[in-house]
Amino acid sequence: MATLPTSRVCVWDASTLMEPHCKRRKTEEPKDACPWQVVPVLSERELQSVTLMPVYAAPVLDKKQASRLVKEVSALYPLGDYPHLKRVRSCGSVNSSHPLEIILCLAGGKDKQSLQTALELFPDHQLDLSGLGEPFLTQVPVNPPLTRLQYEEAASHWPVTFHENKRISQALSGCLFTAAEKTSMQSHMELAIQAAQNGARQGMKPVGAVVVDPTTGRVLAVGHDCRNGVNPLLHAAMVCIDLVACGQGGGAYDYQDYPSCTFLPLADSSNQTSSCADGLPYICTGYDMYLTREPCTMCAMALVHSRIERVFYGAPSPHGALATNYHIHSCKDLNHHYVVYRGILEDQCRNLSQISVLK
Amino acid sequence: MEAPGRQVVIAEETEAWMERAVNMAKKALENGEVPVGCLMVYNREVIGKGKNEVNKTKNATRHAEMVAIDQVIDWCHQHKKDPEEVFGHSVLYVTVEPCIMCAAALRIMKIPLVVYGCQNERFGGCGSVLDISSPILTDTGEPFQCMAGYRSEEAVEMLKTFYRQENPNAPKSKVRKKECVK
Ligand SMILES: [Zn+2]
Ligand SMILES: [Zn+2]
Repeated sequence: MATLPTSRVCVWDASTLMEPHCKRRKTEEPKDACPWQVVPVLSERELQSVTLMPVYAAPVLDKKQASRLVKEVSALYPLGDYPHLKRVRSCGSVNSSHPLEIILCLAGGKDKQSLQTALELFPDHQLDLSGLGEPFLTQVPVNPPLTRLQYEEAASHWPVTFHENKRISQALSGCLFTAAEKTSMQSHMELAIQAAQNGARQGMKPVGAVVVDPTTGRVLAVGHDCRNGVNPLLHAAMVCIDLVACGQGGGAYDYQDYPSCTFLPLADSSNQTSSCADGLPYICTGYDMYLTREPCTMCAMALVHSRIERVFYGAPSPHGALATNYHIHSCKDLNHHYVVYRGILEDQCRNLSQISVLK
Repeated sequence: MEAPGRQVVIAEETEAWMERAVNMAKKALENGEVPVGCLMVYNREVIGKGKNEVNKTKNATRHAEMVAIDQVIDWCHQHKKDPEEVFGHSVLYVTVEPCIMCAAALRIMKIPLVVYGCQNERFGGCGSVLDISSPILTDTGEPFQCMAGYRSEEAVEMLKTFYRQENPNAPKSKVRKKECVK
């Protein structure tokens, strides 16, 4: 940890950013700091436990009638809003006198909660009832499962289909990122930590942020919290969003009092950034932000407006809006969503809050 | 009209301030900008005005409210006033419900009252998408009161007109793209 990853040195002008080595070492963690883990911050929908609803089901007593019954029942009571529900379950494994059970229809309204007979459910000879046993009420999952955990819980009630999201599963099992990717994540978070420490030396809250273009690996902006200066809204994420704008010839604030808030002027670079392809002013399109701690509601929503692609944060905050208080990154009513991972250098990021603000 | 907290709002004055905010939004629309206008009023004086500066700054967070807050901070500086005292006794008049980001910013600044026009269906932070204005939240400023519905039809109409114009294939954005590529 004492040696700087070389990739960082070549993408960033060391003179603008690097503290003298001895200065950095003082506040650094012991060499064998705890290893850290990247943990995906799932949406509320992905985290919630399975919700159930009542349906009428019935045993299929004669297996030969099964396919006819499925066809006719499905025509009478389609489950169009619940395509994840399998119509039939096998009772082979259970101690059962009949081979299959079939969902007949939803038992939604309160008045329908009292058990009805097959004849009441299918009046007027709508259905040839031969081979069908007497209906019973059971509970089935309302929503399609989004994670393997939800799938396992849902399937314990009734068989459901599951379209596994590979990214989520890999992330949850800890094998989404390669060792090289983790090294680069660590180096970016170390930059954010360093910025936080530099900010703290100027009397600011010890929070740091870094914006990276993942397609080139280039660091586009490094900033720290400036809220203890003139403007209480200059949180690290807001600073970094504005620094990226500065790099594209925009920006709303002046950072000359904060030498650790720096940006890469993109106008001078020959390589085009991904953001331009999508048009201004959504300048953070395709970019990653590293934050030493979970952002607040204002900052999390600012990242929605800026169309950030991914956010990596170190430690949670009590007022955080990316897991703790809200899930702004995956709010289904908003027009942009981003992916969030937490836990990068978590211990070091957590320790930052113990730095007393110097002034 | 009820006086929320220490803030006294007089109905006639509210109408006059909202008239000014609506006129600002109209002007923004004429200039092809997001039609949102806002005023920060302290002691019956406008100490901050804002319109959307997203294009100008290339910063998607430069909403009218954020611009107005910065102006009030400058005003406090110039007049040697304590920002906490000033924001704590100011009213924001804005044509559209503040978004989630701006609502959180208003909490942080401890503004007690926001008077607004129409709902912000896409991003609203005072109930439309999330309610950031009223809950008790750790370390996130103070809740504020909202008075909604002033001149809302006009505000909605302007937004609709703007979003109709904002076509991704409009020649204007193509020009911008080209500028960016070179
Ligand atoms: Zn924040
Ligand atoms: Zn806003």
